[in-house]
Amino acid sequence: MSRQFRVRDALLPEVDRALALTMVASTVAVLLGALVQIRYGGYQMPFETVWRALFDRAVWTSPRILATILLGDGLAQTLGVFRDTSVLTDATAVVWTMRLPRVAVAAFVGMNLAVAGAIFQAITRNELASPYILGVSSGAGFAVVVTIVFSLGTYLLPLAAAVGGTGAFLLVYAVAWRGGTTPVRLVLAGVVVGTIFNSLQTGVFYFIDSNGAMRTAVSWLAGSLTGVGWTDVRLVIVPTLLVVPASLVAARQLDVLLLGERRARSLGMRVETMRFALSALAILATAAAVAVAGLVGFVGLVVPHAVRTAVGSDYRKLLTGCLFAGPALVVVADVVARLGLGGTQVPVGVVTGLVGGPYFLLLLRRTESFNEF
Amino acid sequence: MPQTPHDDTDDASQPPEAADATDGDRVTDEDPVDSAALLGSDLELGYGDTTVVDCEDIVVPEGEVTALVGPNGSGKSTLLKGFSAELDPDAGTVLLDGEDVQTREPKQLARELGLLAQENDAPGGLTVGDLVAHGRYPHRGFLDPLDADDEAHVDRAIDLAGVDHLRDTPISELSGGQKQLAFVAMALAQDTDVLLLDEPTTYLDLHHQLRVMEVVRTLNEDRDVTVCVVLHDLQQAARFADYLVALDDGGVYDWGPPEDVVTETLLANVFGVDAAVTYDDEPRIVPRRPLD
Repeated sequence: MSRQFRVRDALLPEVDRALALTMVASTVAVLLGALVQIRYGGYQMPFETVWRALFDRAVWTSPRILATILLGDGLAQTLGVFRDTSVLTDATAVVWTMRLPRVAVAAFVGMNLAVAGAIFQAITRNELASPYILGVSSGAGFAVVVTIVFSLGTYLLPLAAAVGGTGAFLLVYAVAWRGGTTPVRLVLAGVVVGTIFNSLQTGVFYFIDSNGAMRTAVSWLAGSLTGVGWTDVRLVIVPTLLVVPASLVAARQLDVLLLGERRARSLGMRVETMRFALSALAILATAAAVAVAGLVGFVGLVVPHAVRTAVGSDYRKLLTGCLFAGPALVVVADVVARLGLGGTQVPVGVVTGLVGGPYFLLLLRRTESFNEF
Repeated sequence: MPQTPHDDTDDASQPPEAADATDGDRVTDEDPVDSAALLGSDLELGYGDTTVVDCEDIVVPEGEVTALVGPNGSGKSTLLKGFSAELDPDAGTVLLDGEDVQTREPKQLARELGLLAQENDAPGGLTVGDLVAHGRYPHRGFLDPLDADDEAHVDRAIDLAGVDHLRDTPISELSGGQKQLAFVAMALAQDTDVLLLDEPTTYLDLHHQLRVMEVVRTLNEDRDVTVCVVLHDLQQAARFADYLVALDDGGVYDWGPPEDVVTETLLANVFGVDAAVTYDDEPRIVPRRPLD
């Protein structure tokens, strides 16, 4: 009993009106986006069929089929819960194996990027910081392009992205470290490392000789959800299950860190250790998103910023808002990316960029000063 | 006639280091080292290769209000950073209750020693109540929620700092003075035996300057908190502090009760100001002109 109270106190925010509204609006956006995403596409079906497929008894009454869909053939066989899914109707198969996982991946990507962005904004004390600020994007991008150029196998891409991103982050820290770090040093080191990796990446790009490889590389660098499946859901869900509770627990540390380094230290925080641990957590979230979707831009920048204007800067509320608003943005953006141009899909990162740009334009027009956090 | 009790020792032709606090003639009966809440010995503090503070012994007596005064660049704030373990000394030690501040675990130190900076910043949406609650940080474990004891300390701190009516107001809507009182409340919620304040009144209007100093005084008298405060305003320092430490060029120039330390000679030698100093019922300093 008391243990439950402890968990609740440590994790859950006080839900006020603004936060409740954010959560509800975001959930509605996710559900609507998901419905549209599932209904439309190459295989057309009326909403009634969508409904029937979603609640198909063949799936819900057979745990083995559900497990096989969610875990994949291989894992299901290993665990001994495999059941051939070819018994399913076409509509059910399309919904369950192609469209639903795409929505799920989009939601997880949004969640991770938004949380990572919120954390980096506190660490750098800059509300315009993004998850890519400490070199992750350029490191991951470089690793991905190298993997493609040397044909190391596309299945290695998520691993390459995570390793490249983490490597760049550690390099940024090493560059910034001089008996300690400061937010400004970290950001500048991020710029330095980012510039170098971007140059290298452009250089390596030159050696791509096939059109297909070029397209794969571009869609990775722009951030795309084309062709994702339950494999990707499984890949992203593990770090997410760690990142979400950890970031909520760390919310109070972020609040204190926001009071300024000197104050945090005078309150007894080991600022340097905490900053590194929180960065590592944010990098894990970022790497999870990058591994399945590539470099989807602007989500980690826009979502925390927008949620902050709605719910304020209390980090437990802010992070909770991000957990809902992040998925909303990416799921809806992916609907546009997949269906907006009719036949051709564009990378979802292109759409989030097109949303993010005008958001800041609007902000620039409306806001007098950007100094207040 | 203004009194000049140290005319004999502080000859204007001597270098200021010659008049050291360790002379002992003007120190109170108690051995200052025994009654010290904070004791710095053979301290050298600096940034990179430059040494800013280099002094033999410096004492902050327990249960008293001690003010650090001195001109710009004399090392007041640096010394305070040394006291709060923010800066590692290049040489020497800082003892808090007889134990080195550097060896303490950060949270343990924060339960014993509080620090209030000159300028404070907080994210806009944070309310005064939330801010003060963060003062309980060193008393809480990683997962601990605010318990009844914490709440009581927060209430007391808010009450003592007189910011009750602002409890639910966001920090961003406060005036500079109210903001500083909110941060004072936060430092009070930390519930430490020693409180360091770095120019807490510098940017405040007169009303809030007095409010802040009054809160500090009350805290010292009612709860026996040892206070060490860097003050820019010599007259304010002379009025509020039990002891003054006058710093000059990184060393201790003089140490003692205000009426012994604040003299026309001090103003001339350390501050480079020709001034009249009187102690009728209140210390009064009338600066006349800068000396070359």
